[in-house]
Amino acid sequence: MPEFGEQLERLEAIVRQLEAEDLDLDAALKLFEEGIERLRAAREQLTAAEVKVKKALKGDGPSR
Amino acid sequence: MGTPLDLFAAASAEGAWTVTEVTRRARVVIEAGLPALWIRGEVTGFKAWRSGHWYFSLRDRFSQIRCVMFSTDNRRLPAPPTEGMQVFAFAQPSIYEDKGEFQLTIKELLSTEQGGLWKLAFEKARAALLKDGLLDPARKRRLPPFPRRIAVVTSPDGAALRDIEAVIARRWPPPLAELVLVAAKVQGDGAEASVCAALARLGKLDVDVAIVGRGGGSAEDLWTFNSERVARAVAAASVPVISAVGHETDVTLCDLVADLRAPTPSAAAEAATPDRAEVLVHLEHLAERLARGLSLRSQRVVDRLDRAGDRLSGAMQWRLEESGALLTAHGARLDALSPLKVLARGYAVARDEGGAVLKRVKQFPAGREFRLRVTDGEIDARVR
Repeated sequence: MPEFGEQLERLEAIVRQLEAEDLDLDAALKLFEEGIERLRAAREQLTAAEVKVKKALKGDGPSR
Repeated sequence: MGTPLDLFAAASAEGAWTVTEVTRRARVVIEAGLPALWIRGEVTGFKAWRSGHWYFSLRDRFSQIRCVMFSTDNRRLPAPPTEGMQVFAFAQPSIYEDKGEFQLTIKELLSTEQGGLWKLAFEKARAALLKDGLLDPARKRRLPPFPRRIAVVTSPDGAALRDIEAVIARRWPPPLAELVLVAAKVQGDGAEASVCAALARLGKLDVDVAIVGRGGGSAEDLWTFNSERVARAVAAASVPVISAVGHETDVTLCDLVADLRAPTPSAAAEAATPDRAEVLVHLEHLAERLARGLSLRSQRVVDRLDRAGDRLSGAMQWRLEESGALLTAHGARLDALSPLKVLARGYAVARDEGGAVLKRVKQFPAGREFRLRVTDGEIDARVR
């Protein structure tokens, strides 16, 4: 899943495009569908938040 | 020649005293008679030895006294005094037996100048940072609006970490952002090196932003963050750094160099993260605009269809009207050619019984019956 920031940026771009540009219905629908999908994903990211603190102790970075 | 001098007798109370005895005795007398005291004077002839001990003299217009400040005592000071600096010193008067010199062992040294030695050291380091362009506001990096991983350079068991955790759990909790603790010693011996090492590790941790700091403390406790070395490490960090030294009144060098200065660790955590609730509101707003955007688009299409329809029917209407006018015109012309019109002007048409038009004289022998059509009807007629 793309990062939240990217998700939101793309969503904002879609909204601006939909509001400002003269699109045919087909293109507008495609944008709208992508927008809805990104909106859903972003909402999910925001709500699926559970507190956990990862500690990188002495000399070790994140384990992966 | 008299009796030879008895070197050992010299150590007795009756004979001559040894140098050592005299200096020791003087030391005891002086230390007993002059307990530790505060003294003020001007620093002169300062020298720091490799051992870390400081040697200098304090003087005023008439006198001067040799002074020593051992490294165990001067280590707490941010900077050595400068030549000619007026200081207050807490000192134990004594005799330095090796040289038989009267001297002060300095335990504490305060500059009488505004802010004292701290200020002096701070200004010196600040000037160096300024000269290297590290205080240029243009250097300050923008914080990432939606950080994924936030490094916290602080003590693992300090209040700062707990405060930051609490704020992030409220505003931008995992998995939106993860906290990565980069443990560092923030005060006492080795704190500078520890913080610098932690800052240098940031580049390897795949983080977007770092918070460096500690909860409040005295000016001495905060000194780590006033170290030029730490300030340079902050400037060299691979990601934007928020300094959170937890001291609202004093600005530290670390604050000056950091990309953002926060008054407390909690404030730093707030600055580092967006608020989930606000972002949700923003998302709902975007959802509305998205829907409105689409309906606007489809409405445009419908409008266009409507307009096209209007124009189409408009065109048809025009055509029909035009055809109507044409018909009328043609009708008028047809009408003009109608025989009835001719009759209306007074002409008549003669027809035989079969309806054939009789046009010539010889078709009208005497006695012939025929029908005459005039404008308003027919007349039966006969040739005489």
